[in-house]
Amino acid sequence: MEKFIIWLLPLPPLLSFFVILLFTNKRKALSHGIAVGAAGLSWLGSMIIFIRALGVEEFGKHFFGASINWLPTGSTWLKIGVQIDPLSAAVVFFVAWTVLAIFVYSIGYHNFGQPIGDHDVAGLPPHGATLAEHGHKHIVPSIEPMYSRFFAFISLFAFGMYTLVVSDNLLTLFVGWEIMGLCSYLLIGFWFGKPSARNAAVKAFMTTRIGDVFMLLGIAFVYSFTGSLSFSEIFKPEMLQALASTPAFFGLSAAGIIGLLLFIGTVGKSAQWPLHVWLPDAMEGPTPVSAMIHAATMVSAGVYLVIRMFPLISAGWTEGMPLNTTMSLIAFIGAFTALFAATIAVAQNDIKRVLAYSTISQLGFMIAAVGIGAYVAASFHLITHAFFKALLFLGSGSVIHGMEHGILYTGDHTDSQDMFNMGGLRKKMPITFWTFLIGGFALSGFPVLTAGFWSKDEIFAEAFGNGHLTVFVVLAMAAFLTAFYTMRQITLTFFGEPRTKAAEHASETPWTMTVPLIVLAVFAVGYGWVGIPENFPGLGGLIPNWFHEFVGGTLSKLPKAVVFSWVPLVTSLCVALGGLLFGWLVYRKVKSPKQDFLQIPVLKNKWYFDEIYNFIFIKPAFWIAERFTSLYMDQTVIDGILHSVARFSLFLGHAFRNYFDKPVINELLGDGTGNVVKASGSSLRKIQVGRIQYYMVASLAVLVIFALLYYFLLV
Amino acid sequence: MEFLGSHLLTFILFFPVLAALVVLCLPKDNLKTIRWTAFGASLVPFTLTVILWMRFKSGQPGFQFQEQYTWYAALHSTFHLGVDGLSLIMVLLTTLLTPLALLASFNITDRIKAYFILFLFLETGMLGVFMALDLLIFFVFWEIGLVPMYFLINQWGSEKGEREIWKGIKVQSRNYASLKFIIYTMAGSLGLLLGIQLLGVLFNTYDLQTLYTNWAALDPNDAMLHFFSRVLTVSTVKSIAFWAFVIAFAIKVPVWPFHTWLPDAHTEAPTAGSMILAGVLLKLGAYGFLRLVLPLYPAESARYAGWLAFLAVMAIVFGAFAAFGQKDFKRLVAYSSVNHMGFVVLGIAAAARASGTLNATIALDGAVLQMFNHGLTAAGMFFLVGVLYERTHTRNLDDFGGLFPLVPIYGGILIFTSMASLGLPGLNGFVSEFLVVRGSWPVLTVYTAVGMVGLLFTGAYILKGIKSVLHGPLNEHWAHGEHKLTEINLREIIVMAPLMMLILVIGIYPSWIMDVINKAMMLLFP
Amino acid sequence: MSIPLSWYLILAAALFSIGLFGVLSRKNAIAILLGVELMLNAVNINLVAFWRYLDPAKMAGQVFAIIVFAVAAAEVAVGLALIISVYRRRKTVVADEIDLMKW
Repeated sequence: MEKFIIWLLPLPPLLSFFVILLFTNKRKALSHGIAVGAAGLSWLGSMIIFIRALGVEEFGKHFFGASINWLPTGSTWLKIGVQIDPLSAAVVFFVAWTVLAIFVYSIGYHNFGQPIGDHDVAGLPPHGATLAEHGHKHIVPSIEPMYSRFFAFISLFAFGMYTLVVSDNLLTLFVGWEIMGLCSYLLIGFWFGKPSARNAAVKAFMTTRIGDVFMLLGIAFVYSFTGSLSFSEIFKPEMLQALASTPAFFGLSAAGIIGLLLFIGTVGKSAQWPLHVWLPDAMEGPTPVSAMIHAATMVSAGVYLVIRMFPLISAGWTEGMPLNTTMSLIAFIGAFTALFAATIAVAQNDIKRVLAYSTISQLGFMIAAVGIGAYVAASFHLITHAFFKALLFLGSGSVIHGMEHGILYTGDHTDSQDMFNMGGLRKKMPITFWTFLIGGFALSGFPVLTAGFWSKDEIFAEAFGNGHLTVFVVLAMAAFLTAFYTMRQITLTFFGEPRTKAAEHASETPWTMTVPLIVLAVFAVGYGWVGIPENFPGLGGLIPNWFHEFVGGTLSKLPKAVVFSWVPLVTSLCVALGGLLFGWLVYRKVKSPKQDFLQIPVLKNKWYFDEIYNFIFIKPAFWIAERFTSLYMDQTVIDGILHSVARFSLFLGHAFRNYFDKPVINELLGDGTGNVVKASGSSLRKIQVGRIQYYMVASLAVLVIFALLYYFLLV
Repeated sequence: MEFLGSHLLTFILFFPVLAALVVLCLPKDNLKTIRWTAFGASLVPFTLTVILWMRFKSGQPGFQFQEQYTWYAALHSTFHLGVDGLSLIMVLLTTLLTPLALLASFNITDRIKAYFILFLFLETGMLGVFMALDLLIFFVFWEIGLVPMYFLINQWGSEKGEREIWKGIKVQSRNYASLKFIIYTMAGSLGLLLGIQLLGVLFNTYDLQTLYTNWAALDPNDAMLHFFSRVLTVSTVKSIAFWAFVIAFAIKVPVWPFHTWLPDAHTEAPTAGSMILAGVLLKLGAYGFLRLVLPLYPAESARYAGWLAFLAVMAIVFGAFAAFGQKDFKRLVAYSSVNHMGFVVLGIAAAARASGTLNATIALDGAVLQMFNHGLTAAGMFFLVGVLYERTHTRNLDDFGGLFPLVPIYGGILIFTSMASLGLPGLNGFVSEFLVVRGSWPVLTVYTAVGMVGLLFTGAYILKGIKSVLHGPLNEHWAHGEHKLTEINLREIIVMAPLMMLILVIGIYPSWIMDVINKAMMLLFP
Repeated sequence: MSIPLSWYLILAAALFSIGLFGVLSRKNAIAILLGVELMLNAVNINLVAFWRYLDPAKMAGQVFAIIVFAVAAAEVAVGLALIISVYRRRKTVVADEIDLMKW
């Protein structure tokens, strides 16, 4: 029964994708009905699975799974299958909720029920429609021209994520992984008419693909080593033992290399330094897409992969030992990214870009947590982050939507995403404000109440408790910056007075957008309470630390809870509250970018990574492609050789004709023979007199001569 | 039926010729009749191939449906046909793509009788190579395939364009391309003929099955042939034939650096010609490697596998880079063939190196599936480029832009096919590329890793194509008036539909075809 | 008793030479034909003479002589017909003037 549901879990969105594209493309209401219905079905299935999973004792050992033969390889088969174990159950839970929320939200975001725009074309955001009412005209938001297509694409996106989560093997995981890559491409470039969106889409796809090809190598490596791709086979203790003890290259074990290769996939997908550049540009897509990428699906998939692969990455390592090379590298990348992205976030003015960098930063937290071996903490943060980040993105979308409403009303062209054009929105958009505040506080790690606090605190505790002080300090700094820029964002957006006309006329968004916000806000607060450490002062033990028990049971050995210490707790409190307070103090007075002391070029320009990459990689690649390979190599060198051969043959033929055929064969042998025959003919013809008697005399003479010769010489 | 059943291969092989003769007798002004006759006739071999597929017993060793007739008794050459799993796949691909290519040619109005007749001859030529079990027959059909293609490029190729071959000397592109194509391939087949003749003298037969069984029977140091004052031993003769085969097939695949005829020929050929060229003709080379080189020369193949892999990786990487650098959409797709066929060769190289292991079988599975997949996607891509070219009369990527809103159905199909070409998981290309990478990674680790650069740039050029054609600001030139771009029509959708179906089906459930391939590879290379 | 063979041979040689002289020296085609007849008959004398003197038991000499008669008759018939035909067209039987084949 469970297996059956798990097999079916990804299917409704896939069907929805095909049905919408092939049949209901023209019918908007039916399309979103199908898409939301499909998401709802998958949600229902996920919830059933989740609840059933809760009812199983020692679920980590008795997980749901099934597999089939997929591809014959020699005399063996490559199997694919599905499995829901504690980790994927927890992940599928948040995926189902966020996906459903985003689907519903998209209906409102794309202005369902509004008239068709005056000049709207497919490929560009809707510009609004003029409506005549009570004798005077006014402009209202118009419906997205590619409304149905949007739902088809996000359905496919959801399919990719569900496939990835329910996979029991690396192959189908990779299938879901790449399908999400395609969807991110299609959706970031949804408004493909804008050159910026088009470029962002390509950038996203290509940057993540760098990771993907390494990941493919990792998969090939692990497959050729173990002969299987299913997790349960790879994670068998003896197999891990073999992987950890077999040396590969660069002084690393096979497990280390495979772990690294797979981790590079994560670096691409989860936008870790140095492949982080695509994520901020991905903001070109419609906001629900940003939420989809940043919370529900894509970047979470990257983190899910490292958590899933934790046994392999940590093969040969046990708690308390020094980290192995792969893990150290992962921890380094994670921690560095967390701080690095946070520094950029503080200088961004675009409401969505701030969130984009905060995503990169928070993903860094998770990666760092996996790197130091705290995979339960990482998955906890993954889930809480998914909820509050989905909430924040949808909230920011709601803000933008409200702003656009105001812009249409006033008719002036203000940037609807620049936070300095906002201000005072808390009165105009109360539901958005309160939910955004909850999300922001969760992101900052506002103590006790919010989910973000508990998950982040667990990472701090693990880092400190296991002695990874560098990671701890770096993450603490990042957390401080996080709280700071979050408060900066909230202050600039919602507090103070409206700074533009558009902001004055902003209005609350429809229920299809606010209800998902409220639902997500509930999780952004409540989900933290399922993972309160047992030994937390005061609160510990009131509610059992269900999350640690449950997800920790994924592996055969339950990781032991870290010893409680005041240091990480106090740090966590300080950075969160301090950051929030500092942010509010600084920005409550700021009215324009000029007053903002953090508008430093190096931060605003993201440490110039785009420019550096452009110089180091993109330009040479273009040179190789456009000049070197086809022009120089193929058309000049190789074809040159061919043409030289041709020229040489031509020359040879010419030479043969002019210096041999013509003089020797033609003139000497051919014409020469003719001439000789002709000359001898013309001289001999004189004896052809035509008189028979003459001939007879001649023959008589010959006869006589021969007779005489015969007589005298021989007889 | 009984007769048909026992002569299935002959029917499949020669039905196109019969059809061509029928077409020859049709009145030349009646375009409709000619088109439909040719198209209808080309469906017959396909139907028969489906019957063949159903009757084929995939686990059975050796060749099936064999037919043998006297042909050239003095040379000990017989007309011997037969298929195993490998050739069955290729026959299926050929008979599938030919009707589609003919259907794609319905827009041709110039001398269509000759055009369709050449096309049908071409089909027989290609099928003959895949079915022949006699080396001499193999060679005959190999050459038969060349000639129609030469004329198709030369006569019906794109009319515009010049190519500068030497300083100041320019020739019309399609003349250049067709000549380069035929001379290059001829140069290769010269060696092929030599190799075949040497083997024929050596073994006193051209029969492939006999060669397989008797191959090792001769003493390698026996003196076989007298070449002027020198004596050639059996092993020398064999290695001459080896190199002759390798070069002939390498040109046909094409392996870097013998690939430069390909972009020219593909670009200049008429749409349907490109479909068949990329879809089937390139496979002849790879088929030759699998049918002759690897089974007959396991030791030599293993010794030179590293070099072959090097060339394959060069093809993968440089092919991808070159495709990325193109401004001409069709040339971009043409270079993508170099890139994709590189994976086939990489798989073959890995299998040659690790012959007999599981890795080799997987690499070969991947290579053969990649041959089939590339046949589908490349044909589809060329057709889609052709659809666009027919409407706009330009292939320059800079001339397009933002066409998606004008042609949403075309756009969707283009993205779908492009993604298959890119190797998106869930579509066919991924399965084969994954298998090749999996098979060659343990054997040729460094080469495989370097090949990944090519895989990365596969993404780059595919996205470049989509980006320049469909996305971005709309080029108003195509939006109004006489230049208004029209949507893909029903006939064109019907051409694409079977390709897309197969692309999706193989991507999701490949085992129906992999079962045949896998068993064939295990039997062929135990 | 008798006349030796050589006499016959001398006679035949003389006859042959007369015929040959006639063939070579005469311009009239009919005369040439006559010369040929003489030569043929010289041969006949030889044939008969050799038969009689050398091997009378066999008939070969006589048979040959009769064949020669036949040939001579045919030759005269065809030859005269040709000459008449030529004469009708060209009003001449002089061999020098019948020079159609001359270059």
